[in-house]
Amino acid sequence: MSWHRLTAVVALALAAAPLAAQQPSAGERLPVVKYVLPNGMTFLLLRKEGAPTVSFVTQFRAGGVDEWTGISGTAHLFEHMLFKGTPTLGTRDYAAEQRMFPRIDAVADSLTAEFRKGTSADSALMARLRDRLRALEDSARQYVVSNELDRILTENGAQNLNASTSNDGTNYFFALPSNRAELWFVLESDRIRNPVLREFYSERDVVMEERRLRVETQPMGLLREEFLEAAFRAHPYNRPVVGFASEVQTLSRNAVQEYFHRYYGPNNAVVAITGDIDTAQIKRWADQYFAGIPAGEPYRPVVTQEPPQHGERRIEVEYNANPMVIIGYHVPNAVHPDAPALRVLASVLTGGRTARLIQRLVVRDRWAAQVSAGQQPGSRYPRLFTFIAIPIAPHTTQEIETAIYEELDRVQREPPSDFEMQRIRNAAEFSSLSRLDNAFFLAIQLASSEALYDDWTRTFRDDGALQRVTPADVQRVARTYFSKTNRTVATLVRPPRPAPTGGTN
Amino acid sequence: MAAIRRHGPAALLLAAAALASAAPVVAQQDTRARVQQLASQFQPLRFTPPTPRQIRLSNGVQVFLQEDHSLPLLSVNIVRKAGVVNLPDSLWAAGWQADGLMRTGGTTTLPPDSIDKLIEFYALGLGFQTSYEESSANVSGLARHRDVMLGLLFDMMRNPRNDTSRIRETVASVEEAWRRRNDQPASILNRAWAQVMYGDHPLSRTMATPEEARALTPERLRTVEAMLFCPDRMIIGVTGDFDTRAMTARLEELFRGWGRCPAGTRPMPPVQFPEGPRLVLIEKDVNQSNIQMGQAGGIRVANTPEYFAAQVADFLLGGGGGFNSRLLQRVRSDSGFAYGAYSNWGAETDREGLFAASAATRANKTVGAISLMRTVIASMVSEPVTAVDVRLARDNETNSFIFGFESPAQIVGRQIAYALDGLPANWFDLYLRGIQAVTPDQVRQVVERYLHSDRLVTVVVGNPAAFERPLATLGTVTTMRVEDIRR
Repeated sequence: MSWHRLTAVVALALAAAPLAAQQPSAGERLPVVKYVLPNGMTFLLLRKEGAPTVSFVTQFRAGGVDEWTGISGTAHLFEHMLFKGTPTLGTRDYAAEQRMFPRIDAVADSLTAEFRKGTSADSALMARLRDRLRALEDSARQYVVSNELDRILTENGAQNLNASTSNDGTNYFFALPSNRAELWFVLESDRIRNPVLREFYSERDVVMEERRLRVETQPMGLLREEFLEAAFRAHPYNRPVVGFASEVQTLSRNAVQEYFHRYYGPNNAVVAITGDIDTAQIKRWADQYFAGIPAGEPYRPVVTQEPPQHGERRIEVEYNANPMVIIGYHVPNAVHPDAPALRVLASVLTGGRTARLIQRLVVRDRWAAQVSAGQQPGSRYPRLFTFIAIPIAPHTTQEIETAIYEELDRVQREPPSDFEMQRIRNAAEFSSLSRLDNAFFLAIQLASSEALYDDWTRTFRDDGALQRVTPADVQRVARTYFSKTNRTVATLVRPPRPAPTGGTN
Repeated sequence: MAAIRRHGPAALLLAAAALASAAPVVAQQDTRARVQQLASQFQPLRFTPPTPRQIRLSNGVQVFLQEDHSLPLLSVNIVRKAGVVNLPDSLWAAGWQADGLMRTGGTTTLPPDSIDKLIEFYALGLGFQTSYEESSANVSGLARHRDVMLGLLFDMMRNPRNDTSRIRETVASVEEAWRRRNDQPASILNRAWAQVMYGDHPLSRTMATPEEARALTPERLRTVEAMLFCPDRMIIGVTGDFDTRAMTARLEELFRGWGRCPAGTRPMPPVQFPEGPRLVLIEKDVNQSNIQMGQAGGIRVANTPEYFAAQVADFLLGGGGGFNSRLLQRVRSDSGFAYGAYSNWGAETDREGLFAASAATRANKTVGAISLMRTVIASMVSEPVTAVDVRLARDNETNSFIFGFESPAQIVGRQIAYALDGLPANWFDLYLRGIQAVTPDQVRQVVERYLHSDRLVTVVVGNPAAFERPLATLGTVTTMRVEDIRR
């Protein structure tokens, strides 16, 4: 194929690019059936042609932001606990287990009480209490059928069995062969109604290992955690979802149970069921298994708003690794009218090898191994537009920073070109279709959109909105949000000499 | 519960409506009993998996096609069973970096910038992979861009330019990856593990060195690209919104004039795994130790039924059995030592693979965790799996088989994988039947014969000063410095 011919094709496509009309995107037109039980539990049902499988996703409006001071990590630890069973699953003798819980909790509480003394805590006493806690919980295992939920699902061929907790919410998911769909109703209705927090303290240790794995031994994990803590002074987006080490280590069964009671009412749940389903049958099962669960408190979004930032914030994180930098600007949430233009800006700057920052820093100057723009840590509340960059030595994070600021300024002088805009629209068109390809992924998207915005179509509406963003919109958002005052910069630097990385042994 | 089951659907609806406002109807169910009751009632699945269309082009290239007109998307995958291990040592690094340069380096007629613009303008996912034993090219995008997609992909495969500006970009990126190679404990472990288990074998190489990157030239790259991407034994998979006849005709055109593969590749050198026991420590100041232990796997895919028994053993020890596998149950759920604890009993069609188990645990449980992992591996012999265990593996395989047919890409991808490995097209069925036939006794025999928990090679990355007791209490420790990891 000749270069001239292909270039001509691009020119032709540019000229012919139609102005996208305000018609609903393919996602918005999906034949989703919304079914709400009297207790407020919402079901989104989508029949999809293909293999006889069904995907189930339950999303609760209960995430890291919904925790209160002293219990960070609870949303996530509770997510782990929801795999531990119920009074009739995961147990040999629930009554005996119940009798042991207060004894175990008393030791855990004593341990926490000693921990609270800080530097004057008696470490020998704490070691004895830890041993005692372990011994008691081990002794309670005689009544436990560990991982029975997992066993049932494994036997029945479940796929994608997992869950995830974010700042904004928590979701639980798996897929089953469609002839076994009723199993989900039996198991899910039981565990969201009657979870038993057995094997609690060993699971707390597991979460601590997860924290070490993802944060404490990972330069980027640690940098990101401290960056969010610096960027948010008031809003709970500043808290790590996995929790602060001291708080995870001292979480009590009662606090986690309290979190459950506050947030896990059926009215706080959205279920998406996609695949080879009989919609009428699904509705009957929904009634049969879930309608009897009493509604809980209505969800109250976080009241705290991040106050305006009054000056650039800069932090350094010392760690024995090569430098990297995260730069963040406060921007509105994912459904603000400016959100599509911010996405286009991110793509203009880093959405491919032709994007401005990649072209300059990676391809042309070779100053950076990586530079990417995105938005985090959540979607529901005002968040951060971030740049993450990895410099190539001898170039420094400062040089990369300067280049990023120059490119942000350049957007004012040189608005996105026809090529840039059309490339982004074409990418949006492709993703608006490819995101519909997989039943499981569709269920994730439906549940998330409904749980966050009370509207499953909301997530698909941006597919059209992206098409309508103009270069002037991109310039406007770049002007509005990307001031020095609104900025937080976190840099990973080496300590003066290799020092212990701290941590939580 | 039983009462509800006797009512018809209409009665159920009424009952539910009444219940919603009143007290819960579905009184405390006995979930375990209910699950058992349901399990006896499931109707069999009725499903005939689609069979992809299979054709041979005039040059012998095999093509699997599966039309799917549900979305206007198209995806094309091209794979060859030839990878960097098949290259002479002098060209290894060029092979390792060739995939990136085929994507970024332009073609003889299109400069690199134009390629980038075309790919991004048409919103194509387009890339190449050169791995140890396979090489592949793939493109996906909107079906209406079919000709651009295929035209670009073939131009980039057949006429790569390897522009020197892009080679410089690659060198800079390799140099930086090299600087960062010891920043994360998992990266240290993976590289050390490869070196310990594979020695000087090409499978030990996990990254190119800066020296190797600086020796890249357009000519060297062109040589390996021609060796890895050429029509002999190439296999193509096409899925999505296309017409089979038109696609076949287009592929014929795209191959026109593309001759045989050049000489110069070699069969993979034989692999020799080390004898254990060995205990290797690499110091890294972190509060969590990364642990991997393993040995020669002993089994080839062709060694049926032993291969199937080993698959079941692995499932139950630390593979697909998830939380009900012994490693995850004991190391995570019972002990709280680790977030993950897994095993993988590898086997290749033409040679044995590697058996390995891994976990990451807090520094002051390192020795205890290693000891526990060894005990759990040993338990496969000392406490043989039961009929209930084996049934779990069998039921899982039987009931989850349907998930292998969820998308045309999966179905076609599997046929390509079988063809690459020389397995029969119905391997999926043979595998399922093989697993279903495994007995507890066969599992016991296979672990007794092949798994030797007293002869494992163990590699640990961590801070020994923070271990609860010296690692030497587990055996003779060899210390390896991070600088001793060659790549």
